[in-house]
Amino acid sequence: MISSPEGRPEETDLELINRWKAGDSRAATRLVGRHSQALARFAASAGEREGIEELVQDTFVRAFASLDSFRGESTLRTWLFTIERRLMLDRRRSERRSRETVPVEESDHVSEYGALDGLIAEEAQGRVRKSLDALSPTQREVFTLRVQQGLSYKEIAEVLGSTEGAARVHYHNAIKTVKEFLKDE
Amino acid sequence: MNKCTDSNIQEMLPDLLHRTLADDARRRVEAHVATCESCQEDLDVLRMVKSAAVFAPSIDVDRVVRQLPPYQTIIPAIERPASTRVVSWLVAASLALVVLGGGSVLMIQSKDSRSSNSAGSNQLPNTIATRPEATKQSPAESGVVPKAVVQSIAAPRPHALALAADVDGLSDGNLMQLMNDMDGFDALPASEPEPVISVDSGDSL
Repeated sequence: MISSPEGRPEETDLELINRWKAGDSRAATRLVGRHSQALARFAASAGEREGIEELVQDTFVRAFASLDSFRGESTLRTWLFTIERRLMLDRRRSERRSRETVPVEESDHVSEYGALDGLIAEEAQGRVRKSLDALSPTQREVFTLRVQQGLSYKEIAEVLGSTEGAARVHYHNAIKTVKEFLKDE
Repeated sequence: MNKCTDSNIQEMLPDLLHRTLADDARRRVEAHVATCESCQEDLDVLRMVKSAAVFAPSIDVDRVVRQLPPYQTIIPAIERPASTRVVSWLVAASLALVVLGGGSVLMIQSKDSRSSNSAGSNQLPNTIATRPEATKQSPAESGVVPKAVVQSIAAPRPHALALAADVDGLSDGNLMQLMNDMDGFDALPASEPEPVISVDSGDSL
């Protein structure tokens, strides 16, 4: 069980889900608050520029509408990433002809942690972002899920509908590309 | 700088960064990183990537929660008691037996009637002849003919055309009935067929 900053044991996702099913709407607020920012970051890392809030909202709406199908075999966050990724793919398919997904540009990257931003050199940040742009979409998804979100290879495989082995290979290729890119810069 | 060959350790570096390793594994990875330049470089890159968070708008949690659908439990299908299910199966099995049995009886009867029809063309005069007698005194009752045989002969009414071979043997009344039946017989064409014109004939061209 996770401990809250106040020292109280924090409720697990499953406990909150059960509370929401029992009619406690505050449990939904806790769940959304716990995972919404990670979902927004994942969408941004995957190259989404517009409608991230709507995407996160749709992810939660879809997830809560089918919470009975969530068996707790994976973590709730992994399950939410899976739903969000499907929504992103659907969105890209429908928008492919009208609008190409623009690769993440330097000007779009602003750290969500304003205070931390001042401490990190802008130049280094820009180089990292450019190195991520050099990755293939799948490599970028695997790499950001692994490095920024801290998911295991098994969880990444679930999100991507792939295998752990494939996730490991993508990770190795991604870190190799990023390292080479940063060396050349 | 030598390239690290321990891919297991390399794969665990993000876990070290997120502090999700168990104590034993963490100590092992930290000991390896302390002596491996390649892994130290990897770890620096990972730290940079982790800290270089891309812009993500802050999500209005309350707004998202307001859009969430109310929880609806999936109502399981109403389970009928086991005894009711057994009765249903028995009824279904009985119905199936009745249908199959009835179908078999009908098939046998139709086969019998066909065979008696073909035989009846020769026997009908006798049948008809015996009928009046049967009304007077049943042969079965008199002990001459078994009752079952009488029934099999007298029961089916042969078709009128089946009597054509032995029309001479019919009484006037039966002959009239046969004529009436033929008038009502609708298997014959209502009109004469059109003459056939040969398309091969060179005269028509």
